[in-house]
Amino acid sequence: MIAFEHVGKRYGGRFEALADINFGVARGEMLFLTGHSGAGKSSLLRLIMRLERPSRGRLLVAGHDIDRLHDSQIPFYRRQIGVVFQDHQLLFDRDIFANVALPLEIQGVEPREGARRVRAALDKVGLLHRERALPIELSSGEQQRVGIARAVVNKPALLLADEPTGNLDPQLSADIMRLFEEFNRIGTTVLVASHDLALIARLRHRVLRLREGRLISDERIDQGGVA
Amino acid sequence: MSAASRDRDSRQAPPRRGARNHRPGFDSRRRAWARHHRHMASDSARRLLRQPLGSLMTMLAIGIALLLPAGLWLALDGARGVGSRLEESATLTAYLAPAVGEREAMQLADTLRSHPEVDGARLITAAEGMAEFQQALGLDDALAELDDNPLPASVVISPLDTSPAAVDDLRGQLESVEGVDEVRIDLAWLERLSSLAAFGQRLALALAVLFGFGALLIVGNTIRLAVESRRREIEVVTLIGATHAFVRRPFLYSGAWYGLGGGLSAWLLLSLGGRWLTAPLQTLAESYGAQFVMPGLGWQGSAMLLASSTLLGWLGGWVAVHRHLAETRPR
Repeated sequence: MIAFEHVGKRYGGRFEALADINFGVARGEMLFLTGHSGAGKSSLLRLIMRLERPSRGRLLVAGHDIDRLHDSQIPFYRRQIGVVFQDHQLLFDRDIFANVALPLEIQGVEPREGARRVRAALDKVGLLHRERALPIELSSGEQQRVGIARAVVNKPALLLADEPTGNLDPQLSADIMRLFEEFNRIGTTVLVASHDLALIARLRHRVLRLREGRLISDERIDQGGVA
Repeated sequence: MSAASRDRDSRQAPPRRGARNHRPGFDSRRRAWARHHRHMASDSARRLLRQPLGSLMTMLAIGIALLLPAGLWLALDGARGVGSRLEESATLTAYLAPAVGEREAMQLADTLRSHPEVDGARLITAAEGMAEFQQALGLDDALAELDDNPLPASVVISPLDTSPAAVDDLRGQLESVEGVDEVRIDLAWLERLSSLAAFGQRLALALAVLFGFGALLIVGNTIRLAVESRRREIEVVTLIGATHAFVRRPFLYSGAWYGLGGGLSAWLLLSLGGRWLTAPLQTLAESYGAQFVMPGLGWQGSAMLLASSTLLGWLGGWVAVHRHLAETRPR
C-alpha cells in the first residue's frame, strides 16, 4: 500500500526533517508511527498526503510514485486517503452532519446517498444523535470522533491519523484507538502517528519509531490480542 | 467456486475495493457538477446578503467605476445623433463678387435657386450680412467706424444631395456661375465635431479599459478578503480532495454577483443621470436649431453593460482565488 524508498525531506535546504526512510506497509495493515515531537512524524504523514514532496527518494502509494502526480491529479489522489487531524479541522460554521458530508459533497455524491453514508459514519462513531449540533457544542472527544467520521465517510483505502488522541484523557484515547481497529478489521489500511507509548504498547500492532528524522526501529508486535 | 461461476461473478460485479475505485458515470458527475453550481450560486448570494451594507458599497463602487465610461459612450452616441442630423442641413455659401449690386444679387439668387441640384437658396445682402456680423461679434462700435461695408452679399444654398462628394461637385458648378466670387462649404465645423467625436470615442475606450480594470481590482480585493476569512475552510477542503475548481467556485459566484450588482447600479445611475440632464440638453440643442433625443442604452446596451460587469466580477474573483491557490501549492 505504502512504500518509502530512501525518502528524505529537507526544509529550506538545511534542516533535515527526514533522512533515508525505508519501510513498506501492506494493504489492510495497521501500524503506529511514534517518536518525540519534532522527530518527523508529521512530515512523514504530510508526504503521504502529498502536502509536501520528498527532497530525495521515492514514495509509492498504491503502486504509484506520488511525486509524479500532476497538480490536477492530487485532489483525486487525496480522496483515496482519510485523514484524522490532531486538531480535527472541523468547520465551525456548519453542523456535524455538514462537516461529515464535506468529502462526499466534494466528490459529488448524490445527496440522498450521501446522507445515508453520513449517518452510517456518524452511527459508527456513536454521534448519530448529534448530527444537527455545531462542532462548538461538542466535547473535544466528540469533536475528534466527528473528525474520524469525516475521514471514513467515503470509505478510503488508507486512513491516516496525526496524534488523534493528543488532547484526550486515557479512556477517550482508548475509545478512539478501538475505532481505528474496527476500521482496520474491515480492510482499511491504518497508519496512526502518536507519542502515547503506553497506549500503543497495549494495542500490540506494528510500531515505527522515528528519532531526529531517522527510522530507528520497526517492530512487529504479535497481534495476539486482536481478533 | 468453479472457474465459470467466478467468471460470471466478475462480469456481473466488477471488483470492489471500497469507494476508491468508485468512478461515478459521466451523467452523474455532470449532475453533481450542476448541483454544486446551483448550490454555490445561492450560497454566495446568501453570503452577500448577510452583509447587505458592505455588499452594497462594493457594488456601488463598481457601479461608479463603470458609470464614467458608459456615460461618456452614451454622450458620444448622442453627439453623433446630433451631428448626423446637422449634416443633413449642410449648406454652401456662395459669396458674390463685390461689384454685384442688390438687384443683380436677387436675380442671381433666383438663378441659383433654379439649379437642378439645389433645394433652396436664401440671399443675404451685404447690409444683412453686416448686421448679423455685428450682432454675432458685438463689435458695433468698431464696425461703425468703417466707411464702406466690406462684406459681399452672399447666397446660402441647401443642396438636394447632402453627401460630401455631391456637395463638393455642386460647389464646382456654382463657382462657374457668373457673378459668384467664391463658394464655401460650411462643413468645417462638422468635420471638427466628428474628429472631436473620434477623440471622445478613444477616450471612452481608454476609460472603459482603465475603469474596467479598476472594477476588477475592487472585486479582486473584496474577494481576496473573503478568501482570507475562509482560509481554514479552503485548507480543509483541499486536504480532503477538493479540486481547484471546487474551491474557486463559490468565490467566482460572489465575484459575478458583485459584478452584476455593480452593473445594475451603473445602469440605474445612468438612467437617473440621463433623466436629470435631458431638460438642459434639450434647451441647449434647440438653441442650435437641432433636435435632441436623450440617448438610452436600450436593450442591447443594457444587456452588454450587465454582461460585461458580471464578467469583470467573475474575473476579479478568479484572479483573487488563483493567487491564493498558487501560494498553497505543495513544495
